Amino acid sequence: MQLNINGQSHNSSADANMPLLWVLRDELNLTGTKYGCGVAACGACTVHVDGQAVRSCVVPVSAVAGQQITTIESLGSAEQPHPLQAAWIAEQVPQCGYCQSGMLMAAADLLARKSHPSDAEIDAAMTNLCRCGTYQRVRAAIHRAAASIQHTAMKQGGAA
Amino acid sequence: MKRRTWLLSALGATGALVVGWGVLPARSRRGSPALMLQTEGDIALNGWIKIAQDGTVVLAMPRSEMGQGVHTALAMLVAEELDVPLGRVRLEQAGADSIYGNVAMLLGTLPFHPLDSEGEQPSVKIKMGEWIVGKIARELGINATGGSSSIIDLWEPLRMAAATARASLVQAAAASWKVAASEITVTEGVMKHASGKAAHYGAMSAAAAGTTPNPVTPKSRQDWKLIGQPAARTDIPAKVTGQAQFGLDVRLPGMLFAAVRMSPMLGGAASSMDTKAALALPGVDKVVALDAWGGGTAGLAVVAQTTWQARQGAQAVQVQWQAPSTGAVDTTRIQAALLNSLNTESGFTFYEQGVPVQAEKAAASRIDALYHAPYLAHATMEPMNCTAQVKDGRVEIWVPTQVPQMVRAMAAKVAGVKEDQVTVHVTLLGGGFGRRLDVDFVGQAVQVAMACAGAPVQLSWSREEDMTHDFYRPMHLAKFQASLDAQGEVTSLRIKSAGDAISPRWMARAVPLLSGPIDMPDKTTSEGLFDLPYGFVSQHMSHVATQSGVPVGFWRSVGHSHNAFFSESFMDELAVATKQDPLAFRLGLLKEAPRYAAVLQKAADLAGWGKALPAGHAHGIALHQSFGSIVAQVAEVSLSDGHIRVHRVVCVIDCGTVVNPATVAQQMESGVIFGLSAALFGQIDIVGGVVQQSNFPNYPMVTLAQAPVVQTHIMASTRAPGGVGEPAVPPIAPAVANALFTLTGKRQRALPLKA
Repeated sequence: MQLNINGQSHNSSADANMPLLWVLRDELNLTGTKYGCGVAACGACTVHVDGQAVRSCVVPVSAVAGQQITTIESLGSAEQPHPLQAAWIAEQVPQCGYCQSGMLMAAADLLARKSHPSDAEIDAAMTNLCRCGTYQRVRAAIHRAAASIQHTAMKQGGAA
Repeated sequence: MKRRTWLLSALGATGALVVGWGVLPARSRRGSPALMLQTEGDIALNGWIKIAQDGTVVLAMPRSEMGQGVHTALAMLVAEELDVPLGRVRLEQAGADSIYGNVAMLLGTLPFHPLDSEGEQPSVKIKMGEWIVGKIARELGINATGGSSSIIDLWEPLRMAAATARASLVQAAAASWKVAASEITVTEGVMKHASGKAAHYGAMSAAAAGTTPNPVTPKSRQDWKLIGQPAARTDIPAKVTGQAQFGLDVRLPGMLFAAVRMSPMLGGAASSMDTKAALALPGVDKVVALDAWGGGTAGLAVVAQTTWQARQGAQAVQVQWQAPSTGAVDTTRIQAALLNSLNTESGFTFYEQGVPVQAEKAAASRIDALYHAPYLAHATMEPMNCTAQVKDGRVEIWVPTQVPQMVRAMAAKVAGVKEDQVTVHVTLLGGGFGRRLDVDFVGQAVQVAMACAGAPVQLSWSREEDMTHDFYRPMHLAKFQASLDAQGEVTSLRIKSAGDAISPRWMARAVPLLSGPIDMPDKTTSEGLFDLPYGFVSQHMSHVATQSGVPVGFWRSVGHSHNAFFSESFMDELAVATKQDPLAFRLGLLKEAPRYAAVLQKAADLAGWGKALPAGHAHGIALHQSFGSIVAQVAEVSLSDGHIRVHRVVCVIDCGTVVNPATVAQQMESGVIFGLSAALFGQIDIVGGVVQQSNFPNYPMVTLAQAPVVQTHIMASTRAPGGVGEPAVPPIAPAVANALFTLTGKRQRALPLKA
């Protein structure tokens, strides 16, 4: 089947039932997306499918063939970080860091839907588990990223 | 020779040896340059520091990064002494020499009362104990990351190693420029002289190598530029782009994946196995019967082309499991047995003060309480895993571990090779919390790799295997008995607790050489009960060590994690019984412990203790010392729709000298959330040997929506550093429990707390 991952096309011969997570990690070596629970309870495996956050540990790969799949590897880079990644660094969010790929992908989905999420909206959207307890910094970083995106948009608007 | 004479001469000879060894100076931890990895262009100046050609400082890093920020903080110590920016320090995994062993972690096992080391000088008893254990620890050189001890342990050796390296480099420059070393200044790794001469470290490293500088001392406090200032963690950029490499992210050419299925009964094994259906599945390569390694449970592993295929295969194997010969463990039965032990056995006395029996006889009234804490799993976000390759008589291991030497020993034992034929690569850890002080999964990985004809194999556990095959925090019970005089003053406090001792079980499976025929008293059972800062006139604390048969291990903050709940809840009970404010009651007993009183008072002040709160909200307070640091927390709690809601936690810590205050704040937040998950939800039940909780839906964690805001304050101090990775965990359960009492008038004496 044809998989479109991070803008690149891959031909995968994976079993149709294999969860997307394992295709990413074990076949394509995209190890930024993590395994945490296998039952969609922790969110460590969050990726975007056609722009929406999904928990890839319970999505059969055949269900997303042909759709646009985005993983943490293409959210941004060290040189050109996504505003959320910049905010994550500014707020010093990660500790062990294992859950953070999923956190960032969930937050990116939230910001795509709500440019300025309230605390209640963050509570509702960010159900990923973090054993190190980085939650208050995750919240602060989402607010910071939202403000920076708005700031950039205003500046660009002003220049236009 | 008469037996008596023989004994005396034997004792005399041993004594002479011990004394002879004892008067030698303690083994130096600076180490020889030969201990460092020999790399092209880098020049080693001692066992810790190399200088690269471009002047970059390379630091040998023996400690594991599991979220506690230690790779940043330890690099800061070196950057400070060498006067280089933090970004100019590169880490390289340290080897297996004893200089990298963790002396402070072993010192932390000594059951001394912390108030005995509060003064300018610790007591003679403490000095003696630390001297002898310190010497032994330096000889043993056990490299472990745990016990909140990394900074405590390396604070002196790393600064000394870096200061010595700096002095050698400056001396080399002075000789080359024919100027006095004292006239050379160093800024950002560049040595300069007023004559205009300048060079970075790389230019002088060859000349500095092998020279012995005059004795150096680390910088004085007022000259620090980095220590004590918040520094951005160096590991964070890779952790936001998915590039950070955890154990499960290791990818090697030709690598296979193995899934593990262990006996559902702890300690059980397979009595028969039919592998036909499994081997018929796509991608499945082979099935390997697994022995029980390192105190773990036996089972099987399936090797396949991907983890998922391996897991499908593991489920497809038809297995008959059998219970261990010792019988299946059961938490209900264990709890009853613990209560019986508590009531019938005298236990080991860890602390006695005054004459408790006399006070108890003279008492006008008594307060009794029985507390309980359940078994807990670690539930690191990254489940247990290990990648191994066994080829040409050599073993190579990639593993997230807190104990690389034990990994090496386990791999050598399983593969039947010498330890020097084993190479261990320590990856980042997706959480440790004490679970990765065990190496059961390493034994499994090597056993599987041996069956894979030289191919590397990544062995990993599902969340379910991880949660049902942990080394659990042991269940504990504690009985409190306070005696009051006619005026309602507490005259005596007697505490007796019962539960499994962790250290002897861990020693037996991890360092069998050091494990004796009988269990020595284990400080971890009683820490948080025998070492209270409160000045009760009479006090007695004893512990009955049991052996339940459940695999038990070190769980973040260990004995403190439940004992603080017991002791700080009971302190509130005493305050209520004697009709005093919980803060005032504690302060009244802290007259001889001013640092503790100051931390407690600060937390109360910052939280607005005693001031009005929103309707339905209440404050709870707790104070606890662990791992050399004092923490007080005030939790603001409410009850709504049958849920306990913790809104805000003020957390004040006195951890002595602070290296990176940013990390300290992170660790306070982390400890509170970790402890809160346990306080609100944590419980492992075992029925017929089978752990009942298996994944996050039935072993829940605090979520973002449930997380309180944690406000941290760090007390200014010039004392030696204390630990920060664990001390914020213990106080949160009693702080919340004490607030719940204020809200409901009902005292909860068991964890997890109920709404």
